[in-house]
Amino acid sequence: MANEVTAPADTFPRLLVRNARQFADRPAIRHKDLGIWQTLTWAQVFEDVRAYAVGLNRLGVKRGDTIAIVGANRPKLYMSVMAAQVLGAVPVPVYADAVADELAHVLVHAEVRFAAVEDQEQVDKILSVAERLPKLEQMFYDEKKGLRDYDHGKLHPIDELIAQGRAVLAQDASVSKWLDGEIAAGKGLDTSIILYTSGTTGPSKGVVLTAKGCIDAATDTVAFDHLDSHDEALAYLPLAWVGDHYLNYAQGLAAGFCMACPENAETAMQDLKEIGPTFYFAPPRVFEQMLTRVMIRMGDAGFPKRQLFHYFIGVARRYGETILNHQPTPLVGRLLYAVGKVLIYGPLMNVLGLSRVRVAYTAGEAIGPDLFAFYRSLGMNLKQLYGQTEAFLYVTAQPDGQIYADTVGPAAPNVDIRIAESGEVQFKSPGMFVGYFKDEAKTKEAMTADGYVKTGDAGFFDDKTGHLKIIDRAKDVGRLNDGTLFPPKYIENKLKFYPNIREAVAYGDKRDFVTVLINIDLTAVGSWAERKNVVYGSYQELAGHALVYDMIARHVEEMNRALSEDKVTAGAQIKRFLILHKELDADDGELTRTQKVRRGFVAERYAPLVKALYDGSREADISTEVTFEDGRKGIMSARVEIRDVKTVPVATALEKVA
Amino acid sequence: MLGPILETLIGGLLTGVLYALVALGFVLIFKASGVFNFAQGAMVLFAALSVARLSEKFPLPIAIVLAIGVMIVLAYAIEFLVLRRLVNQEGIVLFMSTLGVAYFLEGFGQTLWGSDIYKIDLGISKNPIFLFESVFPGGILIDPEEVAAAVICAILVTVLAVFFQVTRVGRALRAVADDHQAAQSVGIPLNYIWLVVWATSGIVAIAAGMIWGSKLGVQFSISLVALKALPVLILGGLTSIPGAIVGGLIIGAGEKLAEILLGPLLIRWFDLAGGGIENWFAYVLALLFLLVRPQGLFGERIIERI
Amino acid sequence: MRAPAGSTVAAGEVLLSVENVSLSFGGVKAIQDVSFDIRKSEVRAIIGPNGAGKTSMLNVVNGFYQPQHGRITFKGTTRTNMRPYDAAHGGIARTFQNVALFRGMSALDNIMAGRTLKMHRNFFWQILRIGPALAEEDEHRHRVEEIIDFLEIQAIRKVPVGRLPYGLQKRVELGRALAMEPDLLLLDEPMAGMNLEEKEDMSRFIVDVNEQYGTTIALIEHDMGVVMDLSDRVVVLDHGAKIADATPDDVKRDQNVIDAYLGVAH
Repeated sequence: MANEVTAPADTFPRLLVRNARQFADRPAIRHKDLGIWQTLTWAQVFEDVRAYAVGLNRLGVKRGDTIAIVGANRPKLYMSVMAAQVLGAVPVPVYADAVADELAHVLVHAEVRFAAVEDQEQVDKILSVAERLPKLEQMFYDEKKGLRDYDHGKLHPIDELIAQGRAVLAQDASVSKWLDGEIAAGKGLDTSIILYTSGTTGPSKGVVLTAKGCIDAATDTVAFDHLDSHDEALAYLPLAWVGDHYLNYAQGLAAGFCMACPENAETAMQDLKEIGPTFYFAPPRVFEQMLTRVMIRMGDAGFPKRQLFHYFIGVARRYGETILNHQPTPLVGRLLYAVGKVLIYGPLMNVLGLSRVRVAYTAGEAIGPDLFAFYRSLGMNLKQLYGQTEAFLYVTAQPDGQIYADTVGPAAPNVDIRIAESGEVQFKSPGMFVGYFKDEAKTKEAMTADGYVKTGDAGFFDDKTGHLKIIDRAKDVGRLNDGTLFPPKYIENKLKFYPNIREAVAYGDKRDFVTVLINIDLTAVGSWAERKNVVYGSYQELAGHALVYDMIARHVEEMNRALSEDKVTAGAQIKRFLILHKELDADDGELTRTQKVRRGFVAERYAPLVKALYDGSREADISTEVTFEDGRKGIMSARVEIRDVKTVPVATALEKVA
Repeated sequence: MLGPILETLIGGLLTGVLYALVALGFVLIFKASGVFNFAQGAMVLFAALSVARLSEKFPLPIAIVLAIGVMIVLAYAIEFLVLRRLVNQEGIVLFMSTLGVAYFLEGFGQTLWGSDIYKIDLGISKNPIFLFESVFPGGILIDPEEVAAAVICAILVTVLAVFFQVTRVGRALRAVADDHQAAQSVGIPLNYIWLVVWATSGIVAIAAGMIWGSKLGVQFSISLVALKALPVLILGGLTSIPGAIVGGLIIGAGEKLAEILLGPLLIRWFDLAGGGIENWFAYVLALLFLLVRPQGLFGERIIERI
Repeated sequence: MRAPAGSTVAAGEVLLSVENVSLSFGGVKAIQDVSFDIRKSEVRAIIGPNGAGKTSMLNVVNGFYQPQHGRITFKGTTRTNMRPYDAAHGGIARTFQNVALFRGMSALDNIMAGRTLKMHRNFFWQILRIGPALAEEDEHRHRVEEIIDFLEIQAIRKVPVGRLPYGLQKRVELGRALAMEPDLLLLDEPMAGMNLEEKEDMSRFIVDVNEQYGTTIALIEHDMGVVMDLSDRVVVLDHGAKIADATPDDVKRDQNVIDAYLGVAH
């Protein structure tokens, strides 16, 4: 029966057919049930999905319907996506942690008639907004717990649908034939899925993706990273996020590799260790947490163990990356690294669950060069990619062996990138979206007339490597008075990678040159002060200390050198800086609650300081109202020193001035 | 020089095995019931006396079996008369009660079995074995009894390790050690568990007592062996069976080596008499350990949430 | 977590009755002539000010204390006193006011320990790790995993309980009691020291245990909101004597109870 389907594998159901034949007994999905890992093979998944699709069809699901998928990474929810696609229905995954209101917005906008949900929590959430969802007809759930006494008129256990479907398929051969027909009827240019953006900027938009686009893109990157049916990924990223749908679902189906579903969100780290994936993605934040955990454990370890650890981490930092990149490395380095691998790196990666990782990616925000180098030096092939939902993820990706902490790599296979006049990155890619669901206007806004997608990010191609560097959101990038590009976040992030600098606020838009306000990191600078016998009584005193100024000035100069190396950023070198006398604080409105600097507010509040930065004064007085921890308010006054720093003269920059 | 050092080392290690056997008895009871059993030394004496006197009337194997019976009865008596009355009491109270048991046993052993010096004949040749005669002049001298001790110790440790790690009883023992009340509340019969532990510890005492007794004769001073087990425990950790073994070996070998290596140095450098190192070395080592690693080499790291 | 075999008491009938129990330590009277009963499948609260004798009462029921007077009838068998082993064997499980876990063991092993009485194979088979013992171990592990799933503590399965925060320790302790598949579950302040969210979770678990498995529950609790929400009937102790025994609503209005809580002298 499956053999009758001969159309090209340009839809996910047809990929599933292919995998069930080609990789029949190889693992497709793993999940932990009552403490024990259970494995479903491709053949089993296909069988279940067929039965599920028949069960869904009996409830009225048909081609073109939209089905919400709400919950964590459960095998049954992935199968819901597959079963919907088999019938030509369109799955619409929704973030499991979305509040009822957001959920309702997506369900209403996508006009879903059905919803496959994880458990009681999601059922309750949907029921709580039921009156806003007149179109919603039926819900299917995975986890039975707590749902026993619910009205089952519109509510079905997924298991039951699969069982019914299986019974029907066994009795009636024509159903099986009909199902094969459904799979054959799907077209590559049909809508495969609608992914709603998380909606941090305005209401979330439904990104419509075609089957062929998805599969073409995934096939390219599977080849790019040499993934095959022997690989394994931990499917722990939010189901509704493009990253999960691409990296695990689309690539998994394209390559035939296995995705393992964690037991629940809290066990993900342990599951990682037990599964030992070969392909791994995590945002920089996760890598940072892992490193912190390692460091805390090492801090508790005995003296000899700690010494050994730090010694060999040093060895790894010196030689690890060149070995990983197959560059020439001294023999001593290779030998020491080999010893370190046995004693430290191997066991460490094993504890983290990363020892089998062949390819790892990070993306989403800038990763600190030290953090990035740490993992690479331990031998993990960690790379960066840049992408977005509208591209079905990949826009750029770093190829093996060409890894730089401050670039996101060259264009991914078959992706066409250009930098617009405004500095904005624009692309055309195999997986690019066809439009926002039911939003012609927004779709037009997001595309250029000649069919490129606007990313909204500003960037440039690095001269040395030819790789793309993303510097800021396009709308935040300003210009100095001489027309030089001024990317404030790029500068601030680069400064913040120095452990001594906690916060930086850069100014330069419509001004003559770039200046920064700096907050030192009390912990890092405090321990430095202890080592140097610098005596201080308060943050303010430490921040104003001449030696601290010297140290920060060295950091800023070092950064200027780095900025000067790219002609795009060379003109945005920092001329003057000061260290603020107080820490920026959300209680004073200087930071948002998510700890992001409110640049405009800070400029207003510290107007005398900003003015002094540009009028050539050596120091300036400031007094501001502050809120103390107990809620009292008071006035804080200080005299703040302003430092000039050396900039690197750059030919192009000079030309511009002349 | 290497020959004598090697000989001392092996001799020391074999003595260490004996220390380890006594320490093992401590660890067993402490691990399973949280009681620091001061009476372990007295139990070794009592066991040795039982075997010695019984072997006068019966062949040795039968005497051993009977002695095991005696130790089980003793364990039951201790459980029934003392421990059962003290359920859920503080550790210090239980410790004090074992002090009482210790002195009672020392006295009662003599009341029951007599107070002379008795012999245990294990039927093992007392003639030393010489090894590596071709390598070192005169070879290395090894006492066959000490080899027998090492073998017995190895067997006991294996059996106990299996008992503790693998069986349900082992899990129940650990539960009892952690919290008496909680163990009772899930239906673990406290009395039965304690009987098992004390009886096991009594059997270990038989092994230790027989070997010491055959070496030195069964006499009151055997109970002082327990004092050597203290530094072993500090080194190895109170709750670790491997710790008791390794601790015993380190102390046994250490004190013998210190006697022949450290002694001459003390004489040469400080003009001391240089003797008696064997008597204090173990305690100094233990003291150092207390300062550096109080939980012992293998002890569980003490994790307390405050 | 299925209903234990051998229980012969139908829902609504008296499962346990305490008659005229008095307990004193030296001259201190902890419990004075208290009688009450617990019916099958109900949630019975025992409340009262500090030092009212609530925990002592639980300790009598579960056999830790031997009362000087009175009788206890459990599942039709009357005893003048219980032994802890008899109580556990008969189907009484409990948790403790100040968490009494096996600190050195993992959460999993702690809950496994709750299966002690359900294990039948002798340890000769266990040592050999073959045949019936192995199958039995798997069966118990399966039961324990169901409890872990029910209490949502998968993430801490292998963590030594000494390292867990208090709220989770209490959850593990409940898990250990549930592993005994008890007829009667005694909970001594299951929510003491918890934050609001943890309290809500714990309440949910208690309700679910009661509703889904029909387990009879007696609990001591200080949080009146919790008591009013959860319990079917409430017995109120003060200075070791029973001063009220009624539904939560009636107890709330009872003048004796109000006086006792406000510390009015009798």
